[in-house]
Amino acid sequence: MSAAQPAERLQPGTELRAPPRRMTRERMRWYVDLLPTVEADDGRVHHDVPTIHDDDDFARSQGLPGIIADGMLSTNWLLSLLMDAFGENALSPGSLRTRYIAPVFEDVVITAVARVASVTEAPAGGLRYALELWCEDAEGRKLTVGDASVQADEPVSARARMPRFLIGARGAA
Amino acid sequence: MATGRYTSDLDTGDVLGPVEFALSTFVVREYCHGNEMHHTWFQETDRPMVPPTLVHLQKLRLYTHSCPAGTGPTARVHVEYDATCHEAVFAGQPLRATGRVAQRYEKRGRTYVQIEIDLRAAEDDRPLITYRDTVIISYKPAGAETVA
Repeated sequence: MSAAQPAERLQPGTELRAPPRRMTRERMRWYVDLLPTVEADDGRVHHDVPTIHDDDDFARSQGLPGIIADGMLSTNWLLSLLMDAFGENALSPGSLRTRYIAPVFEDVVITAVARVASVTEAPAGGLRYALELWCEDAEGRKLTVGDASVQADEPVSARARMPRFLIGARGAA
Repeated sequence: MATGRYTSDLDTGDVLGPVEFALSTFVVREYCHGNEMHHTWFQETDRPMVPPTLVHLQKLRLYTHSCPAGTGPTARVHVEYDATCHEAVFAGQPLRATGRVAQRYEKRGRTYVQIEIDLRAAEDDRPLITYRDTVIISYKPAGAETVA
């Protein structure tokens, strides 16, 4: 199949949904530790000072009821969905915007969703999708909203069917 | 000009940086691991792609460069990530980041600061990611808008 001419065109209204994930304390802490680790970039993991994302007492001192997830976790879960669906070139070029309209508290189950708003032929070949994005909780309440412009040069449905493991036997007749 | 002090002092028109750096394969993989992005182009290659969201953490590099006194009296709360990606960025690539405070404004009793970060290839200045980051400098006082 030509990379420039995907045979498939997702229609406006089509939704892509990631598997639900629980925003555990551990997931929040993993992100917190990335901040000093990335800045130091010395081959070691660094730990941050107390933050509103990993220290309940500090979060309460800042007027919050408890720790909340860093908004970038939701953004990255949406980015992950886009890359699962549209591949490594989804945002090269492209755009991604997310706005955090409600806090994500510990143990809230989050689902990242992308809905096709429009699709056009890209000048360089392939398709360009405009997407509405959001992260919702288990009741469907939107906590993060946004939009993206991505390119697709392979069928999305093939990626959706891509297995996460293979089953078989080496050398079997 | 409010650089040289706390990040909470930053005001419209302040310029942060530029800073030049390259992101190692270690931090790219750590970042992707911490965000559970286990894609082959991030994890299973000697030259991983930098997820475009990693531009957000270059703000901290600019803060350290331009606001050495630290965060200030209250914790920032992120309100919006808004990035336009011009081309892919890779680990080891020489980069240059410059920040500019586009706006500092009050809304519903809170102070918002919007910073534009321009990430470019250090070798020829071509644009890689244009990022607009919006934060409130304190969750207090309580207002109508909730944030994460």
